[in-house]
Amino acid sequence: MKKLVMLSSMLIVSTALAAAPADTLVIQESADIPTLEPAIAYDTASGQVIENIYETLVTYKGSSVRDLEPMLATKWTISNGGKTYTFDLRKNVKFHSGNAFTCADAEYTYERDLVTNTSDSGNWFLAEPLVGSQSNAKDDKNVTWAKIDKAVECNNNGQLVFNLVKVDPAFLAKLAASWMGIVDKQWAIKIGEWDGTEKTFMDWAGKEGLDNSALNKQPSGTGAYKLVRRDANALLATAFDGYWGKKPAIKNVIIQKVPELAARQQAFLRGDADLIEGGGRAVDEEQVKGKSGVVWIDNLPNVVSTGFFMNEKINGTQGSGKLDGAGIPANFFSDVNVRRAFAYTFNYQQYITDVQKGKGMQRTMLLPDSFPGYDAKVKKYSFDAKQATAYFKRAWGGNVWKNGFTITANYRAGSVGAQTAMEILQKNLATINPKFKLVIQAKQWSEMLKDSNAGKEAMIIIGWAPDYADADNFLYTFYSSNGYYFPRSNWKDAQVDKWLDQARTTVNQAERNRLYSLVANRAYEQAPYLLVPAAVNYGFQRDNLVGSTAQTYNPMLGFSYTGTFWKELSKK
Amino acid sequence: MLNFIVRRLIQIPVVMLVLSLLIVGLTQLLSPEQRAAPYIRNEQQAAHVQEIIKARGLDQPFAVQYGRWFTSTIHGDLGFSKASGKDVVATIQERLPATIELTLLTTIPILLFAVWLGTLAALHKDKLIDQIVRVFTTIGFSLPTFVLGILMLAVFYAYLGWLPGAGQLSVLNQFAVGDLHRYTGMLTVDAALNGRWDIAWDVLQHMILPALTLIIVLSPQMVRVMRNSMLETLTSDFVRTARAKGLAPRIVNNKHARRNALLPMVTLGGFLIIGLLGGSLITETIFAYPGVGQWVVQAASQIDLAAVLGFALLTALIVVVLQTLVDILYGVIDPRVRFD
Repeated sequence: MKKLVMLSSMLIVSTALAAAPADTLVIQESADIPTLEPAIAYDTASGQVIENIYETLVTYKGSSVRDLEPMLATKWTISNGGKTYTFDLRKNVKFHSGNAFTCADAEYTYERDLVTNTSDSGNWFLAEPLVGSQSNAKDDKNVTWAKIDKAVECNNNGQLVFNLVKVDPAFLAKLAASWMGIVDKQWAIKIGEWDGTEKTFMDWAGKEGLDNSALNKQPSGTGAYKLVRRDANALLATAFDGYWGKKPAIKNVIIQKVPELAARQQAFLRGDADLIEGGGRAVDEEQVKGKSGVVWIDNLPNVVSTGFFMNEKINGTQGSGKLDGAGIPANFFSDVNVRRAFAYTFNYQQYITDVQKGKGMQRTMLLPDSFPGYDAKVKKYSFDAKQATAYFKRAWGGNVWKNGFTITANYRAGSVGAQTAMEILQKNLATINPKFKLVIQAKQWSEMLKDSNAGKEAMIIIGWAPDYADADNFLYTFYSSNGYYFPRSNWKDAQVDKWLDQARTTVNQAERNRLYSLVANRAYEQAPYLLVPAAVNYGFQRDNLVGSTAQTYNPMLGFSYTGTFWKELSKK
Repeated sequence: MLNFIVRRLIQIPVVMLVLSLLIVGLTQLLSPEQRAAPYIRNEQQAAHVQEIIKARGLDQPFAVQYGRWFTSTIHGDLGFSKASGKDVVATIQERLPATIELTLLTTIPILLFAVWLGTLAALHKDKLIDQIVRVFTTIGFSLPTFVLGILMLAVFYAYLGWLPGAGQLSVLNQFAVGDLHRYTGMLTVDAALNGRWDIAWDVLQHMILPALTLIIVLSPQMVRVMRNSMLETLTSDFVRTARAKGLAPRIVNNKHARRNALLPMVTLGGFLIIGLLGGSLITETIFAYPGVGQWVVQAASQIDLAAVLGFALLTALIVVVLQTLVDILYGVIDPRVRFD
């Protein structure tokens, strides 16, 4: 018995010591951090660490996604009709290795991005305005060393100069992406990365395995935090003593990998973790909200846009392939009456209530409402069975109403939101006309990827998250016939294409906004997509964490738990 | 004996070769797009799926893909694991010691417990002790690992606060562990060798709940086997003879009967260790224990083929080596078993 008491005491004492200390931020999430290599990172899990180890030239100002402010640059000028960007760089900045930050580091970083530019990285959007191609030199022979060398240069004043081959109004916003952080040239070369010369650049073009590069293992940036260790259990970072800016209040940051949600919740509620990856609004509201020591932050901006795709030129057969009730012809959705009818059939409010627990909003276009270019005045569809019936009766000379249809719609397996959205549409269609049949099927993502790229899917639900905070990243993607999603929708409107191309060639934001409003109004009339209401985001944290509120939350930052850099947080 | 061991060792590369052909062959049933999916982390990257397929040679014939994999494997390179963000070899080197620690901490109690309880139940067949053992084994059999693990955490960590939660180390020791000289890779051992008993104790505490979960779930089968084996042995001729010779019941039971009853336990114990070393998938996942099991669960869900292949080879190696050891142990326990 005595032994048992002793053992219990030891356990209790040492467990009490396990709580998150005041100088340490503890985050628990389900998965590993894929990479710390800025040249290939293209996901928020990697970006949330990279943005705190490395620093970009410019960053978002506070919670705004519209305004940018200097970071490693101190100021910039745009000249030559929007084709030359000249940056003054911050002085007295050191890398974690001890090396001093110079223009040569910035030049090396962007040239390295343009040289490597692997197909699974996000550097395509940097390459497009700088070398006139989304690809690297191995995949596109037009990408030469001369072009790369000329694209980024240091002038005699030590300024960094970008020479764009074409105007890109989103260029500054692109430089704010978390993986556009500047790397330490001397350090990178020393540990075996590209030497920065023409002689070897082809060896590094599109290089495979970059996610496990030397820089992934031994990063050196100018950020407020430096990597201590990364093992199977956790990623550890500590405040960088030589940081040029204000000394961070939190000394240590630990990201622990805890795959099981219940284990994360228990650690959070006990105060052993300050922030955890939740289980979705319904679960988190039930199990975390309102509990002792928990702060719940609601009504945060959402920067994902999601829509039902109605493919106007299906590659393949849907059922009978005819308008006989047992299928649809490949061009079924090319009739605007069908698309409008579908848009009136979806019950947006029911989706907000059932799926988003009342925390959702209908947008006017497939663009986050916080982004520049969003026009709240554009009309929106609402659930209206009478209007839907009227349009269905007009469609295809009345044959749709008379014969009915059978459509197979696929959703990404495991996506409860997409499944419920489709079920709402399915039920309403059947209510309007029992001959309207929507067959819903779950499909593995890789299969959906393959079939939707090939234009084989008749109706799917897909979202888009931003690479950078510019309307073009969404509107061109969804609405241009040269956009990424075109093969999935096959909606082509020559006037919309023209407006979108015009918006790409001007840096006048007011003019761009006007053009985007025109696109949105045309999209309302033509209804190429059925717009799924956007969820309202939320967050939760321990009540001793300071520096993170709804007012400071920036949705473009990788650290989505607080929408801030780590250096802005403290604990009381 | 030596011939036997050599023959077994020769089997290893043959088994590996067949297994690798089978696994790489099975992966070919997936389309190049499916095999490219792990490299695509968001919709934007999906625009470049064909380039990814081409860059990684996923559209090349089976022979070419297998040849490439085989060549790098014999050079000790098992590829890059997307799930861990590291080389497969480095991942195994980092995670296997943690799994070995958990295996050691689990296997020894299970075996001792099973032998003791199984013997006890057999000697008291159909009496109260036997009934209690039956209830215990039934409960153990019925409890899914997942449920038991969560219950353990909820009770001992969240409610009572007696033991730490998920992970292998407390927050305070996360940074300190980087200063340890790593001799074996096993944290408890290395911490002790570095004189950091606080860290060793911390790691040990974190292992208690996953180990207890495994002990409760895996013991019942061993107890039942031991009980049945003991019952069978107790009714055999040589035990009757020993009793007839007037030997004390304690000597008959412990020396004659139990020694022979242990044979099936050796086989089952071998499988137990193979299973544990191959990764206690669910337990390691629930307790965020950084062993190979946690890694392979994530790898499988991400179609991380390099990781799955690497893990399969590791498991095959463990199976062949342990089976050889089990067979040798058979000979030690029962001299009637001959190898040549």
